[in-house]
Amino acid sequence: MTAQDRLESLLSHNTLVVAGGVAAVGVAAAVVGCFGVLRRRALVGDAAAHATLPGIAAAFALTGRRELWVLLAGAAVSAIASLGALSLIRRHTRTRDDAATAIVLGVSYGAGIAAISGLVARGVAGSAGLEAFLLGSTAALTLHDSLLVAAISAVVVAVVLAGLKEATLVAFDPAFAAVAGWPVGWIDAVLVALTASMVVAALPTAGAVLVTAMVVIPPAAARQWTDRVPTMLGIAGFVGLVSSLAGVAASALVPRLATGPAVVLASAAVFLASLGARFLRTSWRPPGVSES
Amino acid sequence: MMIWPMVVAAVVSAVCAVVGTMLVVRRMSLLGDAIGHGVLPGIVVAVLAGGRPGGMLSTLGAVAAAVLTVWAADAVRRRARLSEDAAAGVVFTTFFAVGVVLISLYASRVDLDPGCVLHGILELAAADTVSILGVMVPRPLVNGLVALAVVVAFLAATWPAQVFAAFDTDAARVVGVPVGIATTGLLAMTAVATVASFEAVGAVLVVAMLVVPAATAELLFRSLGRVMAAAVAIAVTSAVAGYLAAWRWNTSGAGMIAVVLGLGYLAAVLVAPGEGIIPRLAGKAWLVWRVACEDVLAAAWRREEAGGVVPTAPGGLLASLAGSWLRLRGKVEGPIARPALTDAGRGEAETIVRSHRLWEAWLGRNVELPVDHLHPPAEWVEHYLGADVRKRIEEEVGAASSDPHGREIPTERG
Repeated sequence: MTAQDRLESLLSHNTLVVAGGVAAVGVAAAVVGCFGVLRRRALVGDAAAHATLPGIAAAFALTGRRELWVLLAGAAVSAIASLGALSLIRRHTRTRDDAATAIVLGVSYGAGIAAISGLVARGVAGSAGLEAFLLGSTAALTLHDSLLVAAISAVVVAVVLAGLKEATLVAFDPAFAAVAGWPVGWIDAVLVALTASMVVAALPTAGAVLVTAMVVIPPAAARQWTDRVPTMLGIAGFVGLVSSLAGVAASALVPRLATGPAVVLASAAVFLASLGARFLRTSWRPPGVSES
Repeated sequence: MMIWPMVVAAVVSAVCAVVGTMLVVRRMSLLGDAIGHGVLPGIVVAVLAGGRPGGMLSTLGAVAAAVLTVWAADAVRRRARLSEDAAAGVVFTTFFAVGVVLISLYASRVDLDPGCVLHGILELAAADTVSILGVMVPRPLVNGLVALAVVVAFLAATWPAQVFAAFDTDAARVVGVPVGIATTGLLAMTAVATVASFEAVGAVLVVAMLVVPAATAELLFRSLGRVMAAAVAIAVTSAVAGYLAAWRWNTSGAGMIAVVLGLGYLAAVLVAPGEGIIPRLAGKAWLVWRVACEDVLAAAWRREEAGGVVPTAPGGLLASLAGSWLRLRGKVEGPIARPALTDAGRGEAETIVRSHRLWEAWLGRNVELPVDHLHPPAEWVEHYLGADVRKRIEEEVGAASSDPHGREIPTERG
């Protein structure tokens, strides 16, 4: 590619449409992911992400339609169902939390794979496109799709900001929050639902297997810079934005490089840099001053 | 139907179940997930270096990548002030993304199908055969058997340390058990099991093979040995059933195996003896029924004692059902609303009233409660007192033959 080609590829209508959607999703997933990371429930979103596949397959099989909103609606239903199953397992069985998460994740993913493979083996028209949801595929993202995921992202961020005080309280001291009369169970449920929404909205970008990175890595990077929640949300959102744009650009420039893994690697690079920066900052402190 | 893919599935499921039992009892299930994803770049690099998927080189690459995943997750957790799950989430998604990027960039040189990476293709795996004593045997089967031998040999060699570390890691460390070696070895065995099943079930579904059989077996058995044996049995059965279902409905073998494993777990949650949802509900229902029957009998006894007048007779649907049942059993007779005791029912009724009044007498002596507050607790406790407890209470309250309300306490019947 010549420099001219590269510029054209970067500024093509398709790349810009994709960049808009992916950037919105990257910011919102990072913001809502902060609470999962702080609440030590980073991988609940992973279970929900893997559980979107049966819903996608079912939505396609039942309606015969491939519009993004139909498939994402199915994904949302099965993600929520899997979180319900997870909560039931935790409450009513002796199975420990880590195994419960692994069970829900593995079994629902298996069901999704079986459903999609079954549809493909029967030669159902368009079913092969469902496999794009495994690792993400932004190539087919239309303007309409981009607007859809951007709208979901905007709503999620608005809800998080509106409930910032409650969410912060529950993230740091759920016991105090409960004693003080806050509905901790409900606040938790809303946060988990918001995470599930972002996992669903980010599916076209990163796919079921990698989407959890968009919810975990930017908050983990932001955690290296601050101890304050509002600042952490801001930095995480910024990291999400930068890594999304870098991923889209890299994927537009490098042939065969998919957007999802590129976004993940970009945010991983930011995470490593943030970790290194914190080491430099803390090691420069005068002796006797402990790290906060 | 082909027999070889099914055998391959059964063997790799067994390997995963053995390793997975240790992961589950040590609360390391998510490390199994992390390793499943984390081995991908190791395998891809090995294949780029000229190895074959499932071959020696890619096994080494996978084990190295697994060790690196676990080390990196631990380092990130300690250095980056993150919880264990967030640190693992950062590391394994990054490793997996590296693997995916390598596959897509070097697609022409890497003989790895993206579908194969994610969920394996059993038929394809079984088609790669090697001749052993003149019989064409699938290479993944040979790999699986070798992995099974390695894993079993490792666990057998370190069994006491594994058991000690599984139940009390800190105590094990204090008394000098090499917990670190046991844990590192276990993680290496997880990598061996993962790479052995990689071609058959892929990077993601291996977590189901590792965790679900052991989690199911844990609901059914308590001792570690039995849990492991049951996990292997569940894994092999599910592999065969899942493969047959996939063949019948023409879909992914690994996916259907995971679905069957999930159904097995659901069944255990519902019917596991003692703690399954159905046995627990049945236990509660039986208790409610027994209390209802005993209340009807006790009310009839009191009516008899009072000469036909009793203000608090149990009513409602449950009481009438209990009354009908007792009449059927010949313990009461007459109208259901006001049944009279038969000789067969009188003894049982008397025991309940005796329990009730003994408890009231004991409370009256030992607890500062107004007399009119003694009845409600006794109304509950009367259903739970056995003959020996009644005897001890009688000894304690002494010769008092009446309860605090002044009513006679019936004597114990032979």
